Amino acid sequence: MLKITAKYFRIWLLTATNALQQAFINRGTNILFILGKTIRFAMAIVFTLLLRNNVRQIGGYDSEMLLIFVLTYHALETLAQVFYRGAYQFGELIRSGSFDGLLTKPVNALFTALTGHPDINDAFFLIGSTSVTAYLMTTSSLSITPLSVFLYLLLFANGFLILTAVHIFIMCFTLLSSDVDNIMFAYRDVSRLGLFPISIYHQVLQPILFFIVPLGFMFTIPSQVLVGVTPTYNLLITTGFGIFFFWLSLKTWRWTLKKYSSASS
Amino acid sequence: MFSKYARLFTISWQAGLAYPISFALWRVRQIVATFMVLTLWTVMYSDQTSLFGYQRNEILGYIFLVSLIQGTVMATSLNGLAHEIYSGNISQLLMKPVSILKYLAVQDVADKMKNLTFILLESVALFVIFQPRFVMPSLPHLLLFIVWVVLAIIIHYWIEILFGTLGFWSPQTWGPKFIFFMLIEATGGKLFPLDVLPDHLQRLVYLTPFPYFSFVQTQLFLGRLDQTQILNHSIGIGFWSIFLGLIAVRIWRKGIYDYSAAGN
Repeated sequence: MLKITAKYFRIWLLTATNALQQAFINRGTNILFILGKTIRFAMAIVFTLLLRNNVRQIGGYDSEMLLIFVLTYHALETLAQVFYRGAYQFGELIRSGSFDGLLTKPVNALFTALTGHPDINDAFFLIGSTSVTAYLMTTSSLSITPLSVFLYLLLFANGFLILTAVHIFIMCFTLLSSDVDNIMFAYRDVSRLGLFPISIYHQVLQPILFFIVPLGFMFTIPSQVLVGVTPTYNLLITTGFGIFFFWLSLKTWRWTLKKYSSASS
Repeated sequence: MFSKYARLFTISWQAGLAYPISFALWRVRQIVATFMVLTLWTVMYSDQTSLFGYQRNEILGYIFLVSLIQGTVMATSLNGLAHEIYSGNISQLLMKPVSILKYLAVQDVADKMKNLTFILLESVALFVIFQPRFVMPSLPHLLLFIVWVVLAIIIHYWIEILFGTLGFWSPQTWGPKFIFFMLIEATGGKLFPLDVLPDHLQRLVYLTPFPYFSFVQTQLFLGRLDQTQILNHSIGIGFWSIFLGLIAVRIWRKGIYDYSAAGN
């Protein structure tokens, strides 16, 4: 198991090094991309700070708590984009027939397709945004205990597992219907509902945003634990759902792959 | 002459619906974005009656309108123009007996009309869910509102042409475009009205054309502009539509002069 993990880590390191080299070829473009992401992050912070100065509470959460939710959302989403940028290019892999080449290699095709194009821009951005996030969290007036931090990190990892599963499901959808370009961006738009606690939305929406598009388990539960609010679902259900959802995504991927037939290569 | 552009309009409309699932997902994305913002503001007003100088009905009306206007103004068929130029695909258009800028403009208008049709249908559903309240503006203001929306479309068209001209000289076109999208997201006024920003930030934003895409039009419709502001914004939107047009045409002509393609 350890040997397999080391092998895949070496493969990922190779692709990451290649991506870094590509980034330095297109320095101007990559600087602009980082700048754009910084603008987006800054405006989310500005908006949240505006709320802090003008709003006492939203759905039972004060503005300090809301800031944690916003930061958690950005951290998880950025981390996913660093590792899983390959999912965005999966449609092109299918249409060009390049995916067939991946299937013949002695490396798991899902791993290669999902992680084959790490986004170095987001990696650079993640460093800066994590620093800002850590600073804002530590200067927050919320009482954050070591236990809540530990549970937060555990649930953050669980959220990342669910996010991985979401990307795999989207790749399954793309595998079945390769003319769909917008599916990933449609998910990104829906996921913005996770910027704020899912529990503030209408009761009809909440089960959907927990169990169908599990934004609640990804973004809301970890933040609730960190800010000291009773989570909507307990840790057992949350982690159990994460493991189940990931298992389901792998099963779905295997099933989808059996249905796949190449158009060209 | 008119008939060939009318035919082009029809063809562009049909081409835009060639991949219905992709188009449907695009519309889903737009609805979800608007739905998220409307939901968020609805929740924010559950504990207070007034926020940033807006009552609940006012803010919902604002978000509703700005989404409708921005959804129309920002819809475009010219996203891939730079790539078309750099790859040489535009050579075919250059040989056609049409003005290429008019050709692209007709395509863009067709795309906007197609999106507007669906936006109006989607708006009915959002209207039923969130029930924003509007007071119709006076006739002069309504006419001015329509003029400002048309000018916003023209400003956006020229900006898209400017981004397209990057393709004459470089394959790296998505960097500047990405910055543009982020700036629109930040300063377009869709997530929150720009007048909630501190004064110094507002002054900075008004140095750009971004507030003129949808924010000022919405404020005019909602009756939140006094006569001085109406005059200032009329000058501003007129300035940007002419200035960007002159710049775009000048750079476009330079690009066409330098352009060469082989093998098509």
